[in-house]
Amino acid sequence: MSARGSALQRRRARAGRLFVLPNLAALLVFMAFPLGYSLYLSFTRSDLFRPATFVGITNYRQLFADPLFGIALRNTVVFTVGSVLPTVLISLGIAALLNRKLKGIAIFRTIIFVPLAVSAVVMAVVWQFVFNTDNGLLNIMLGWLHLGPVPWLVDPHWAMVSLCLVSVWKGVPFATVVLLAAMGGIDENLYEAARIDGAGELRRFFAITVPLIRAALSFVVIISTINAFQAFDQVYVLTGGNGGPESATYVLGIMLFQHAFGFGEFGYACALAWVMFAILLVLTGLQLRRGRQEDT
Amino acid sequence: MRTPPPRTERTIRRSLLRATALYCALIVVAWCALFPILWALSGSLKTPAEIGRSNLLPAQPQWSNYTEVFSLMPFWRMFANTVLYAGAVTAGQVFFCSLAGYAFARLPFRGRNTMFLLYLSTLMVPLTVTVIPQFIIMRVLGWTDTPWAMIVPGLFGTAFGTYLMRQFFAGLPADLEEAAVLDGCSPWRIYWRILLPHTTPALMVLAVLTWVNVWNDFLWPLVMIQRPSIATLTLGLVWTQGQHVSRWPVLMAASILMLAPLIILYMVAQRSFIRGITMTGMGGR
Repeated sequence: MSARGSALQRRRARAGRLFVLPNLAALLVFMAFPLGYSLYLSFTRSDLFRPATFVGITNYRQLFADPLFGIALRNTVVFTVGSVLPTVLISLGIAALLNRKLKGIAIFRTIIFVPLAVSAVVMAVVWQFVFNTDNGLLNIMLGWLHLGPVPWLVDPHWAMVSLCLVSVWKGVPFATVVLLAAMGGIDENLYEAARIDGAGELRRFFAITVPLIRAALSFVVIISTINAFQAFDQVYVLTGGNGGPESATYVLGIMLFQHAFGFGEFGYACALAWVMFAILLVLTGLQLRRGRQEDT
Repeated sequence: MRTPPPRTERTIRRSLLRATALYCALIVVAWCALFPILWALSGSLKTPAEIGRSNLLPAQPQWSNYTEVFSLMPFWRMFANTVLYAGAVTAGQVFFCSLAGYAFARLPFRGRNTMFLLYLSTLMVPLTVTVIPQFIIMRVLGWTDTPWAMIVPGLFGTAFGTYLMRQFFAGLPADLEEAAVLDGCSPWRIYWRILLPHTTPALMVLAVLTWVNVWNDFLWPLVMIQRPSIATLTLGLVWTQGQHVSRWPVLMAASILMLAPLIILYMVAQRSFIRGITMTGMGGR
């Protein structure tokens, strides 16, 4: 290596470190440090006004004995299953529909993906209007069929259904975009060959499309599960900061917010956050392993 | 090869039937995606008495509902705040992430790969875990209830943005910069003058994603900000909703006003929008 070459390399290495520095510093201050600090806080009793005191696993023990944690966990699981499963199934169908070469399909894609631009907060306010018991659109439409009125957001059972419905509406476009992109990558010749062999439309879909987009399906399931498990915005706005009615929508995200920013119990809230993180890691790991096993 | 079947009247009718069925399905799906927004638009132009009726077109459009929004909440102030926060964070994110992404892709230095592993591992960390310490950091710095809390944490870029940009820089052909490197051109000049112009698609994706995330963010402003004068639109909407329960025409007008800029952005930058979503998973938020 010539002297000029290594001087050049040193200069480029120095520039590299310098260019990374601001971004790295932000990462350390706002991500890496908080990660470690929240783990530490979860073993302390700490709030807004007193310094943290180490209490071992007391927070975790308290959390697992807390009946509200049981309720929140149960609600979160119901919400996650009740929103992710319909989201994936519906978006699979819509992606198959949008994958066809029809005249004007681009316009339909544009319209169907519009909810992507809608924030969880605006969406929740708009859906409150749609769900409204006395004069909401859904009950007006049910009235035409001589049904209802359904107390969408007032009745504990219906509130969870409403919450899932809103999340499906918001989640389907995202999942559809991902699945559609994966479907676009499938070789046309495969379908042609199957058609010549006499495979019908449904058969082609389940024998070719679904297996070939399994990676994308797995990605959609993981991301949707992670988001649903931590849901906060739409719950807070749709049914209120207490997870009402009668704690029917009291999910883990609401519980964390209440303890951290309502009661100022940082240690307890951090313990909850780490339990949520651990559950998510296990779920993601299982899903990834299942995906790998299916591949072999 | 199979000979195509003769296009008898029956096959024509069947394919026509199929196309009709497909279009019907598409129209139903499109209606499902749009009806809450259309219903909100319709509600924003109705009188309170008209709210419970099913007509989509208001008998007499009540534009005054929109002017009433401006008297109920400092809408334009909050609009300006949101634009400021989203603009600053987006500019910072695009600059610092592309700079770091360039270094990770093209400028070898000791410890670079280890450092990049650190980046990748933080991609998995959920906001749930970091939000409380971040809140404490802001308190210690005395930034709660100030614009700094809304801008600084995102200003220097995120791990995700750097990861995205690194992948893109790594995909650019090596001979783009080779001659410039041998000529002794400075790394900064190579980044700024030669490579950056080639990364416009990735920069667009990152900018759109960041803008949308800041614009729609709720939890962070909710815990950080109390003063209406520095609040964001999401906060303003939720506050207004809390104070004026069931004043649907005005609430819908506010929602539409808040939604419109993002729908326009989506229409204009649809490609970047869709590409960003296939690359990430910002969808649920």
